[in-house]
Amino acid sequence: MFIVYHLIVFYLASHFIWYLFRENEFWKRVSVALVLIMFFLRLFLIK
Amino acid sequence: MSEAAIFLFMIATFALLAMVLKLPIGVSLVFSALAGSLLGGEGAALHHLVEGSFGYFDTILIIVTAMIFMKVLQESGILDTVTALLLKSFYRRKVALLLTVMALVMFPGMITGSSTTAVLSTGALVAPVLMKMGLSRVKTGALIAMGAILGMIAPPVNILVMIMGGGVDMPYVGFTFPLLIIVIPLAVSTSLWLGYKNIKIIEYNQMKEVLPESFFKNYGFRLYLPLIIVIGLLLGQSLMPGIIPDIGIPAIFLLGSFLGIFCGKPLNILKTTQKAIEESMPILCILVGVGMFIQIMTLTGARGWIVTSFLSFPPLLLYLGIATSMPLFGAVSAFGSASILGVPFILAMIDKNAILTSSALSAVAGLGDLMPPTALAGIFAAQVVGEANYFRVLRFCLMPALFELVIGMAVLLFAPLLDKLI
Amino acid sequence: MKCLKDRLISGLLLLLSLALCFFSTQKFREQHKKETLFPSEGLASREMLSSYFPGLIDTPGDTEVYIYGGQNPGGNILILGGAHPNEPAGYVTAVILIENIQVSQGKIIVIPRANNSGFTHSEPQEGNLRGYSLETPGGKRFFRFGSRLTNPIHQWPDPTLYINPSGQKLSGQESRNLNRCYPGKPKGHLTEKIAFAIMEIIKKEKIDLAIDLHEAAPEYPVVNAIVFHENSAELASYSLMELQQIGFEFRLELSPNNLRGLSHREWGDHAQVMAILLETANPSQGRLKGKSSLSLIIEGKDRNYSKAAKFGLLFVPFDSEGIPVKLRVARHLAAIKILLSSFNELNPEKRIEVNHMPSSSQVKLKGIGQFLCPPYRK
Repeated sequence: MFIVYHLIVFYLASHFIWYLFRENEFWKRVSVALVLIMFFLRLFLIK
Repeated sequence: MSEAAIFLFMIATFALLAMVLKLPIGVSLVFSALAGSLLGGEGAALHHLVEGSFGYFDTILIIVTAMIFMKVLQESGILDTVTALLLKSFYRRKVALLLTVMALVMFPGMITGSSTTAVLSTGALVAPVLMKMGLSRVKTGALIAMGAILGMIAPPVNILVMIMGGGVDMPYVGFTFPLLIIVIPLAVSTSLWLGYKNIKIIEYNQMKEVLPESFFKNYGFRLYLPLIIVIGLLLGQSLMPGIIPDIGIPAIFLLGSFLGIFCGKPLNILKTTQKAIEESMPILCILVGVGMFIQIMTLTGARGWIVTSFLSFPPLLLYLGIATSMPLFGAVSAFGSASILGVPFILAMIDKNAILTSSALSAVAGLGDLMPPTALAGIFAAQVVGEANYFRVLRFCLMPALFELVIGMAVLLFAPLLDKLI
Repeated sequence: MKCLKDRLISGLLLLLSLALCFFSTQKFREQHKKETLFPSEGLASREMLSSYFPGLIDTPGDTEVYIYGGQNPGGNILILGGAHPNEPAGYVTAVILIENIQVSQGKIIVIPRANNSGFTHSEPQEGNLRGYSLETPGGKRFFRFGSRLTNPIHQWPDPTLYINPSGQKLSGQESRNLNRCYPGKPKGHLTEKIAFAIMEIIKKEKIDLAIDLHEAAPEYPVVNAIVFHENSAELASYSLMELQQIGFEFRLELSPNNLRGLSHREWGDHAQVMAILLETANPSQGRLKGKSSLSLIIEGKDRNYSKAAKFGLLFVPFDSEGIPVKLRVARHLAAIKILLSSFNELNPEKRIEVNHMPSSSQVKLKGIGQFLCPPYRK
């Protein structure tokens, strides 16, 4: 399950990055950047 | 700098950013947490801010994956087909329809203990049916939000009680009956209150006109497969542990979404995921912000100050404190409210039957999911019915929510009496 | 042109996100460093928990097991610290034992960081400090303040509902709480494996008496308590009287039969060992705690708790003097000492003789640091 959830985090993080480049509104992009911090940290097994 | 001053400063910063400068709520929360950290002498405390947001990491995964699943259901035509099926079965019986709808909405909440899951799974299924039968968009939203909260409180799984029980070392045993006493009257009254006047009995011909297109003839039984698998797995992990594997709610939703690709109208899963992320982003960022906000409140002592202040109310005011603080703190999250306030409140009433006390407190804490800015149940119910302003949905939740509060408080006050009866 | 500008902004935001990750990473990584412990000369051997259960090899759940005595047969005692790494007195008491004791008869096994993974992170939204320093004669020694639960990067995801090896239903996150996972499972998740390994030690080392060192929030009813399995009822009540004689008030709590998965229940049920759990009052883990600070952890002072005590909300006396960690460690040491002497009286054929164990009165008087090695000793 650990690996499955890692893949889920990876899949979602990639989509967040894609969305970050698709979205035009500044504050929405800031929101994505804030959410991404957590996904990166979990993806790299730091937190 | 006193804890109270830091807390007020954080709230003021949040209000300024969100209401005057009109920044998104999530971003405002992040900046007000940062401001609180600076004022509390902790510096920018980056690792604390990040750590706080992790309190909601699992919730965020559930929300995104549930949203993906919902979008898949919509785009593959599964949602339309199920709606058509339900409409055909219920279009003539008003009370039966309302009670069944209520039970359907509550069901995933009862099994998973999460109101969000309830709103986003069966809530999304019944919404079009109710609206087609004449219930307004906002009232449908309110019914789903309330149903989800009642489902969260109802047995067999009430995570709020488990969290409180964990804090006082009380096993999760013997809660079915007390929880049913609270939930059943609420479920019946809420569904009838919100729906009885507006739902219209319609003729077969009228019904056929509002019936969405069923894709059953094109794809057959496999259309229902994603739903059956998702509901089966959600149920199975609690009802048949060990036999049905517990793969966790996010994995269940993603599995359902994956199956959805092959079971209905063709869809592009990547684009569907993007749509889901776009819709859920505001709430994701709110959760990140709330997490940071609480971490800084705890770090600077503001959380402790608030909890202690509520607890030091005299006995009569203690009940008032419970009735106000637990739903209010639920704005953070109902689970947070159960843990941070619920546990001390149970201990403050240690002379009463803890099973009854914690059941009642869970009903009160559950209302927190209606409390803005997070208002998880309200926000998602609004999204499910396509209402942009979730406050309009919350307005119709007010009466049923007050009724829930009254019942919760009544059970709390009359706990010694009930204790003798059951 | 606008498109390019937009992409640039998105790119910068992505970089910002990565930069914030990078800067917070260092603090999170630091938490994985173990502080060095300096065992006394009485140490007979140092094993790893995985040598009792190979399923833990190369996992973050593997942890040091310090063994004292064993040359002259007698009673075998297990002392567990750090099952909950946010309870400093339990951990520090275990470290003091490791750095001081010598055992001339019987055997004492000490595990200071029972949930090693819990030491590597802190609980979200609890706003805890990363650790605290204690002054020794040769300088400051740093100790980590961890989380009650296993690190989610080591065990994830939590189940929706956790049904522990004893069949008790608990909220999902309790699957990472070592003291809810007994008797453990050899093929379970990490925390259950740790619990299983500890059961293996109890069985393989033929432990007679096992003591689990804990702390609890002052608003929690089972505090300043000796929780005992019915196997150790006589030992517990005998010890209580002696502790009262030297001025320590303890509550005596029988381990509830329907609360499963806890050490004081499952150790006794599954290994027939005398199981005891000791609780002291720790304001830094409570829900009423004020600002997170060293003074809160070490001095145990907190205005909120003083106020709550006035309203009768606590289960221990609490005033502006607080409950310092040295007092809590002293309580643990006093209880251990008396449990051992009571054990000797009740089991004269299995005596245990411990030397150089710091006395509670000395710890209260001189502080903890006096009984810890300086940080530079090889």
